[in-house]
Amino acid sequence: MLSEDILIQRLGAILGPEHVVAGPGASAHAVDGKIPRAVTFPGSVEELSAVIAFASAERLGVAPWGSGTKVALGGVPERLDIVVGLSRLNALVDYVPEDMTATFQVGMLLKDAQAILGQRGQWIALDPPYADRATVGGVLATNSSGPRRFRYGAARDFLIATRVVHADGKITKGGAKVVKNVTGYDIPKMHVGALGTLGILAEATFRLYPIPPAEKTYLAAFPAVESEQRVITQLLDSSLVPNAVELLDREAARQIAGQIGLPWQAGQYGLAVAIGSVPEAVDAQIAALRTLCGNGGGLHGHVLDGDTHHGFWRAVRNFTFGDGQRAVLKASVLLAKVSEAVRKGEEVATRAGLRLGIVAEAGSGILRYSLCGDRPEGFPQGVAEAVNTLRAFTREAGGSLVVLEAPPEVKARVDVWGPAGSAFSLMQRLKEQFDPQRILNPGRFVGGL
Amino acid sequence: MLKDKARIVRELGKIVGPNAVICEEDELRVYDTDGLTIFKAMPDVVVLPNSAGQVAEVVKVCHREKVPFVARGSGTGLSGGALPLEGGVLIGLNRMNRILEIDYENKRAVVEPGVINVWLTNAIAARGYYYAPDPASQLACSIGGNVAENSGGVRTPKYGVTTNHILGLEVVLPDGELVQLGGKTLDTPGYDLVGVFVGSEGTFGIATKVIARIMKKPEAVKTLMAVFENLEDASNAVSGIVAAGIVPVSIEMMDNNAIQAVEKGVGAGYPLDAGSVLVVEVDGPRAEVEALVHPITEVCEKNHVREVRLAKDDAERLLLWKGRKAAFAAMGQISPDYYVQDAVIPRTKLPQIMAYIADLSKKYGLRVANVFHAGDGNLHPLILYDSRNEGELHKAEEMGSEIMKACIGMGGSITGEHGVGREKREYMPLMYTEDDLEAMKKVKRVFNPDGVLNPGKIFPTGAKDVKAGPSGQRGIVEKVLGHS
Repeated sequence: MLSEDILIQRLGAILGPEHVVAGPGASAHAVDGKIPRAVTFPGSVEELSAVIAFASAERLGVAPWGSGTKVALGGVPERLDIVVGLSRLNALVDYVPEDMTATFQVGMLLKDAQAILGQRGQWIALDPPYADRATVGGVLATNSSGPRRFRYGAARDFLIATRVVHADGKITKGGAKVVKNVTGYDIPKMHVGALGTLGILAEATFRLYPIPPAEKTYLAAFPAVESEQRVITQLLDSSLVPNAVELLDREAARQIAGQIGLPWQAGQYGLAVAIGSVPEAVDAQIAALRTLCGNGGGLHGHVLDGDTHHGFWRAVRNFTFGDGQRAVLKASVLLAKVSEAVRKGEEVATRAGLRLGIVAEAGSGILRYSLCGDRPEGFPQGVAEAVNTLRAFTREAGGSLVVLEAPPEVKARVDVWGPAGSAFSLMQRLKEQFDPQRILNPGRFVGGL
Repeated sequence: MLKDKARIVRELGKIVGPNAVICEEDELRVYDTDGLTIFKAMPDVVVLPNSAGQVAEVVKVCHREKVPFVARGSGTGLSGGALPLEGGVLIGLNRMNRILEIDYENKRAVVEPGVINVWLTNAIAARGYYYAPDPASQLACSIGGNVAENSGGVRTPKYGVTTNHILGLEVVLPDGELVQLGGKTLDTPGYDLVGVFVGSEGTFGIATKVIARIMKKPEAVKTLMAVFENLEDASNAVSGIVAAGIVPVSIEMMDNNAIQAVEKGVGAGYPLDAGSVLVVEVDGPRAEVEALVHPITEVCEKNHVREVRLAKDDAERLLLWKGRKAAFAAMGQISPDYYVQDAVIPRTKLPQIMAYIADLSKKYGLRVANVFHAGDGNLHPLILYDSRNEGELHKAEEMGSEIMKACIGMGGSITGEHGVGREKREYMPLMYTEDDLEAMKKVKRVFNPDGVLNPGKIFPTGAKDVKAGPSGQRGIVEKVLGHS
């Protein structure tokens, strides 16, 4: 193994010493408590390639790092020598507004990308958690998505081309910078949600969408999650075209309403529906929603507009407990099972003595459970029990459960990804083809890949 | 000729039953080509399994005997993707044509691969639902074939292509193992193998079950026809509509040759003297749809439109679409043969590529009819030729390759929805470096390590293509070792 001095020297020779951090400074880039031997900041795709080629030659464990908002995702790394910080790879590569496609280096903050596109009334149709700090690459590598997925799909649906640095340092492209393309295999999709384990994304090209001329939210309160689910089922069976359909449990509804200064009666569930269109169509659909909710047992409704509307959705996306120890779980279930998944979460949290808040993309069947423990001693075990119970439930309901965020003590007790099913051997072979030495995020992905 | 053919045929017969095996040459001929008739290759035997279990058993025999095999749906593909280039076993999936489940509450349908695309929409229409991907061949093409090719259609500008609507697959791998990829729910943990499988052109495995998203029909639809004096104005209007932040369901373009053919064929009411016609459709909530008609009209007017005709009712709407959908079939009205290209360009390059194709048409002395998905830049220049004239097919192919090269030069792609298949494999290096292609081959090795499933597709072989045969002979017979 290379000595620390040689390691730092060699990396410094590639990048310039000012772009290599080691020693105590490296602890800010720890993954699950593991501190890397060096943190590097390549300034170009070619430099990134050189760092990875070096890591490959020396068989060093590498973790790519955007801005660290989702670094808690995945298993505890088997080994971690180098963190590759991508913050300097933050350029706009090209943007043709009339074609509605744009290419970014992956270290660009999503918010900065959206600001550039927003000047032309366009956006990357992604509204993930921590959208103000997350990088384009981090969002892709973790397949992070948000409420508007209901309307626009997830990253896989509009990522049209990629440049990737492979485990041996080779740079390749996949896809094409056009909105429709079937030339060869769909390589970009392979990297979405792969946590950088098959290669490190360097550039990403998106098909863009126009920002709707108007968007408003209808927020209704429901006394029970079952009556809310019935309304959601009717809504999804109607010809209304929402941008987002979100179910909030009692705790999430209370906290989020509080954050935007909205009066909210404790003990009520929330249903939030965002409508984006031309102004007249927004108002017509909001009126239809009001009727639908009213007839279905909704107690009172608010129309959110302007800053309140945006602030509300920011709070929904970023919802989690700020204090104490916390964990975030993501369940994916059939649409008809969302309310049951909420009830199951409530039961489990009560039993484990944990505080719980749930935000659920009810139109997509995705729930995020935020768990918080006031007593450190019981927390890891409580979360582990919650994971096991909820995972059993989601699997029975044809879905899955993944731990998005949890301290290492929890990860020691549960498999954060859960079983990958009969396709796992294909995934193993994919990893063997693309990273035979297992240097890219070893041990962090499904099944310990 | 397949070694030990008689023995293998007997064994396959035991799996699928005697009525599901074809090995007489005159019957096999049905399977020697697909929708792209310039390529031909004969299988040694065709089997028609009726279950995933039978498919798996057949595949196990092929794997054990190292016999090449290929899956085929309805045979409407346009890139030679289902051709048995090395002979061997062709697995026809037409008998696996059951709609297994429709789950309205969860917005999913589970179908077998041989289900015809339009059957799914027909089965759910009464409840106000539909399956969005609608390739022009939807009356005949199978959903399994759509999965293999990642088929598009006319709704892609708004609703995307097949891959955006497939959530899960049951797949028989080339060694006969049955695996589940994805499922009814989103974000199955692990790599997005559904995303990788869709569009793999039958080289990764055989899908035996498909889980698709079904959608609620929009409240309102409006279709309008815009008539332009020339292609340039129409092309600029397309860019203008996109740039105005409108996402229509469809923007389809036809040039004068296409209009002539359509009017002779089905009489859709397109003006015969127009340089170009756009068919634009918007859908969604009624208020939204009504609000979009005006800005679209305005963009057309800015680009010197002669006339904008809004379909008054469903009958008029369907007539406008009838013309577009029948366009390929109507080409027979103006030419004995045509050769279709499928390249894609960034949408802003439409005026340039249209001018370039017109120049090529003069240079080669071949007429071109353009009928295509302008809204996503997916060209379909139909190069008109007469196979009875010696060398014309060859010229058409040459011209097609020049169009592909120009599209790549403009930052585009060689195929938007038809696939690479047999036809375009030698053009892959135009778009991808050796390293890019090697990354794709690695994925292929994961699924299909021995390469016995659907050999000879997608990747360049370096072989100089066999060109057109003697006058009167349509097609190129593959000359492959071991195949007489």
